[in-house]
Amino acid sequence: MAEGQSPDKGYIRRKNAANIAGALFRYTVLFGLGFVVMYPLLYMISCSFREHGDMSDPTVIWIPRHYTLSVIRETMQAMDFWDTLQNTLVMNIGCSLVQVASCAVTGYGFARFSFKGKGLLFGVVIMMILVPTQVIALPLYTQFRYFGIGNFTVNLIDSMLTMYLPAMTGNGIRSGLMILIFRQFFKGLPRELEDAAYIDGCGPFMTFVRIMVPNAASAFLTVFLFSVVFYWNDHYVSSTFFTSTKTLSLMLENLDSQLFGSSASEISPREKIVWKEAGCLLSISPMLIMYVFLQKYFTEGIERSGLVG
Amino acid sequence: MADGQKKVRRGLSYQRRKELYGYGFIGLWLVGTAIFFILPLVKSLIFSFSKVTIDTGETVTRWVGLDKYRYALFSDRLYTEYLGDTLLETLWKTPLVLIFSLFIAVLLNHKFRGRTVARAIFFLPVIIATGPVYAIISGDMGTSGSTGAEQFSTMFSTDLVGKLLEFLGIYGLSSGMSSMISTVADNIFGIVWSSGIQILLFLAALQNIPPQAREAAIMEGATEWEYFWKIIFPCVSPFILANLIFTVIDAFTNPMNKVMGRIHDMKEEWLFGEASAMAWIYFGIILASVGIVTVIVNKFIYYEVD
Repeated sequence: MAEGQSPDKGYIRRKNAANIAGALFRYTVLFGLGFVVMYPLLYMISCSFREHGDMSDPTVIWIPRHYTLSVIRETMQAMDFWDTLQNTLVMNIGCSLVQVASCAVTGYGFARFSFKGKGLLFGVVIMMILVPTQVIALPLYTQFRYFGIGNFTVNLIDSMLTMYLPAMTGNGIRSGLMILIFRQFFKGLPRELEDAAYIDGCGPFMTFVRIMVPNAASAFLTVFLFSVVFYWNDHYVSSTFFTSTKTLSLMLENLDSQLFGSSASEISPREKIVWKEAGCLLSISPMLIMYVFLQKYFTEGIERSGLVG
Repeated sequence: MADGQKKVRRGLSYQRRKELYGYGFIGLWLVGTAIFFILPLVKSLIFSFSKVTIDTGETVTRWVGLDKYRYALFSDRLYTEYLGDTLLETLWKTPLVLIFSLFIAVLLNHKFRGRTVARAIFFLPVIIATGPVYAIISGDMGTSGSTGAEQFSTMFSTDLVGKLLEFLGIYGLSSGMSSMISTVADNIFGIVWSSGIQILLFLAALQNIPPQAREAAIMEGATEWEYFWKIIFPCVSPFILANLIFTVIDAFTNPMNKVMGRIHDMKEEWLFGEASAMAWIYFGIILASVGIVTVIVNKFIYYEVD
């Protein structure tokens, strides 16, 4: 009846109702799934600050009954946290820097120059994305173990060079993907920029350094951040090449034996979770801190890097 | 010297010179790839066809033909089992990841309060999801970790889904159907956690749709549902391919997957030949899957510009 009198009002009311229902639906779904995403993190935080006895207490789910910092302290000690952290940071940032540089140069080469065999070589880049590390890890190991020509070989296993050398030459962790990203990005930049530089007598390399790099600053940052994350999370490559070098992800894997040693059976598996979760929290905390501050470069960077399309 | 160089340069055509510069730019990568990629790749291919023994630090290979492949496919129970598992999991997980990430991307594309926070949260797994941390979280590492995963998956357990269905009045669901639903529900964590990048890619695609398209559709009386299928879906379809390939590769090359673990174990036992053969079979399957996916999906994609 009311609708009969003024159809406009009815329309607006229906529309409002639909909007509110839509918003409600959206918030419910996002909140629910957001909780699924955050669950492990919240659980980690909750576990790391409780006494291990609380794990067996059925009344404790989220909020610990006994707060303690000793779990964190013990885990830190077992992981040799500060030394390991420093080690990991230096290696990650160093590798990422050289990797970004080498991938950018390569990507630019693929984006702007035409040369014989380009199609084939770009196929190799795609192969680098597709081939699982496991396929080449083994020969790589022997290669690094006896690195050199003929009788002049050095043992590079356990040295940082096993990480730096591939990164330097654009063959580090997920380098193929990064070369691809840079190629797409540089392809998207207008050619006029370089033509102007060429006419002014700038050589291709200086053009790259002076004109293209400043224009690609945001892409550089994004790729760099991703590179840090990839290196941080890697443990396959590092566990292949390192036997005694400490990185956070390796220490986390060995946390069990480090902490409990021979007394492993005395603490119930359920209670061990406390230390494991503390270890997780410790080893991702630097990444989390970085993510909180640089979040926008991660999410916006992908959209703008030109990878899409 | 400088003069000589100049002369040579003048002799080259502009095109030829640019070609040389091209090689200059990719030169470093080329050297690195030859040493750190092509060479190991070839070596591992050779390994896979031979019996490998370690002799005073040298790997000695003796050609045995397809023996190792035969071993991997027919004698190693674990390998084929894991291979089947991984394939099956990829098969049902990939479409779910895609649907889920498109759904979330559409939700996140609306303007609402807290949008940046929501985005940050859904992207968070990318920061964590590849490392050993993920293994502990999902409870794969060691046997002791499983309790954590159990506790987690109880939240979405079979019971819960069954109860929910009963509550909705759906009884006597065929057992195949209900087991499928419960697997999906049990794995919701895995799906959400492997969708970070996909969500972002879809979001970027959605933002390329001009707002006028929506206005026009609403003027013509299209419902949200129609708008989604007639406008959004065709517009993002090219990205579905990119996302699909990304998801498949991600699933296959995830260091946590069992096939990878098996290959790693073989290597630890110094069975280099077997390990290489397994790795190559696996790689062949990856290539084939990506190829099939590309061919199939390309038939259905709508390209606005080509």
